[in-house]
Amino acid sequence: MAERTIRVQYYALLREQAGRSDETLTTGARDARELYAELSQRYPFTLPAEMLRVAINAEFGEWNQPLVAGDAVVFIPPVAGG
Amino acid sequence: MKTFLFSTSPLDTAALQRDMRDVTCGGFAAFEGWVRNHNEGLDVTRLEYEAFAELAEKEGARIVDEAIARFGVTRAACVHRVGSLALGDVAVWVGVSAAHRDEAFRACRYIIDEVKHRVPIWKKEHYVNGDSGWVNCERCAMPAAHTHEHDHAHGHAHPQVHTPDYSRQIALREVGMEGQARLRGASVLVVGAGGLGVPVLQYLAGAGVGRLGIVDADRLEPSNLHRQTWYALADCGREKSTLAAERVRALNPEVRVESHTLRLDDSNAERLAAGHDLILDCSDNFATKFLLNDLALRLRKPVLFASVYQYEGQLQLVRGDDATACLRCVWPEATRDGLVGNCAEAGVLGPVPGVFGSLQALEALKLLLGLPGLAADEMLIFDLISLHTQRLRARRAADCDAHRRAGAAVAAPAPVELEVRFASLTEAQAAGYTFIDVRDARERADEPLPSAAIHLPMSKLLIEAATLDAGMRYLLVCATGKRSAAAASLLRSQGFSECRSLQGGLKGLKATA
Repeated sequence: MAERTIRVQYYALLREQAGRSDETLTTGARDARELYAELSQRYPFTLPAEMLRVAINAEFGEWNQPLVAGDAVVFIPPVAGG
Repeated sequence: MKTFLFSTSPLDTAALQRDMRDVTCGGFAAFEGWVRNHNEGLDVTRLEYEAFAELAEKEGARIVDEAIARFGVTRAACVHRVGSLALGDVAVWVGVSAAHRDEAFRACRYIIDEVKHRVPIWKKEHYVNGDSGWVNCERCAMPAAHTHEHDHAHGHAHPQVHTPDYSRQIALREVGMEGQARLRGASVLVVGAGGLGVPVLQYLAGAGVGRLGIVDADRLEPSNLHRQTWYALADCGREKSTLAAERVRALNPEVRVESHTLRLDDSNAERLAAGHDLILDCSDNFATKFLLNDLALRLRKPVLFASVYQYEGQLQLVRGDDATACLRCVWPEATRDGLVGNCAEAGVLGPVPGVFGSLQALEALKLLLGLPGLAADEMLIFDLISLHTQRLRARRAADCDAHRRAGAAVAAPAPVELEVRFASLTEAQAAGYTFIDVRDARERADEPLPSAAIHLPMSKLLIEAATLDAGMRYLLVCATGKRSAAAASLLRSQGFSECRSLQGGLKGLKATA
């Protein structure tokens, strides 16, 4: 499986659970869903993917959107604090 | 008759009470404030009251009008003494008459509390030891009242009256006199008077936005103050909407401000949004946010959303049109409260909502002035730890449920009037209506409906709405037509575009017969 380097950013609860706000990693994940599943093995994420949105290269995208090397992927949970 | 007066002579409370009599009223409540013989450990011998009459009378009358409007009472008045008073004298009198005792009590309490806080009246106490001192000034929230420094004990200069001055923003080429006139003509509803709402209200009031509506159901708590720094520790326990309205008036008396102490829901959202050009979501829960989103689409009215979490936040503008993204386009799975933490659960650093509230105020002013800003199809994410901002493009989702529902409502022919009058239930039946009786079981037992009806008390209406057919012509019925109108408006918000309420209720039918 082809490995590619992706930049990942975490927000809100995900940032807390990942213990970091961003990282650059090499992954075999083909799309955002696989990437999130892979990261869920590494970090204690409690939110299912359905509750999140993924943005790829500054645009809200789909979970099955294929990833290419150099993509910037952002995982965003909804927040409601005021 | 003036509803707020100053009196230099002793109050004739019996005469004041007579003026409150009204045959439509079933209750009268009064409050009397008396001169007592001690204050903060000192023995008081007599008192002097001094008021800045011109300002005070206006503010006092405003308070009484607010109480009448808010609690629906029939008559209300307040008289305050000025001059020299002896122990036991009546210093202030409030009287309220109303159809029922509850609103009379509440309006009475409201008037005396607000008068104490807002009306510029100074009290000079004379003590047994020969000393005297002016007290209570610090509680007065009127704009000019704080210009007198702490020289209370000797003489009491009248505060100077200032008028709002927008010159520093009018100086901007993009604002000018025309922009200022636009702001003055604008009306903004602010939902939530907390961490986000405070900076929003401060800047909108400061900028001279003509009308502000404030919605908040909560009372101030000490844990709010690290981020809601407009309020004071001594304000804890008071309604935030009332407090915020006071602060707005103190900051800029030119702003017309209305406060609503309630939680936004389907039954009141449309009424509260009416007349406002723009809605700012400063709430702290998903239920309110999604409700406002759906309202934006239904009314085609812009809503600017902000939400914060610990050290970051999100800002999104929903224009309410069919072409651009809404909150549900981004979050199609109805997000539940409690799943991701709010400020109470997750913690938040005070300036974080401060930053986002300020951004919200800025974007609101830009929208009102027609300046470029956050686009309708993007979400701004600002991480205040790394100070990294991102503007993410969001697209209108083709399968967005909220857009589909709003589109259906807009595409429908002219909306059906909410209330309808019939001479009899037979006539209504002939017109093709199916009855929904929203009265409770006891009322129904006392006076059964002569025709077949679905029985759905108000408490069950929304839960059971799913079992009803939104396309049917339902006629909602209650005793007087009030509850049924509220029920019909609730059902309308759920897509029952054909449902109506029987105007005047069963009582109205009897009167016609």
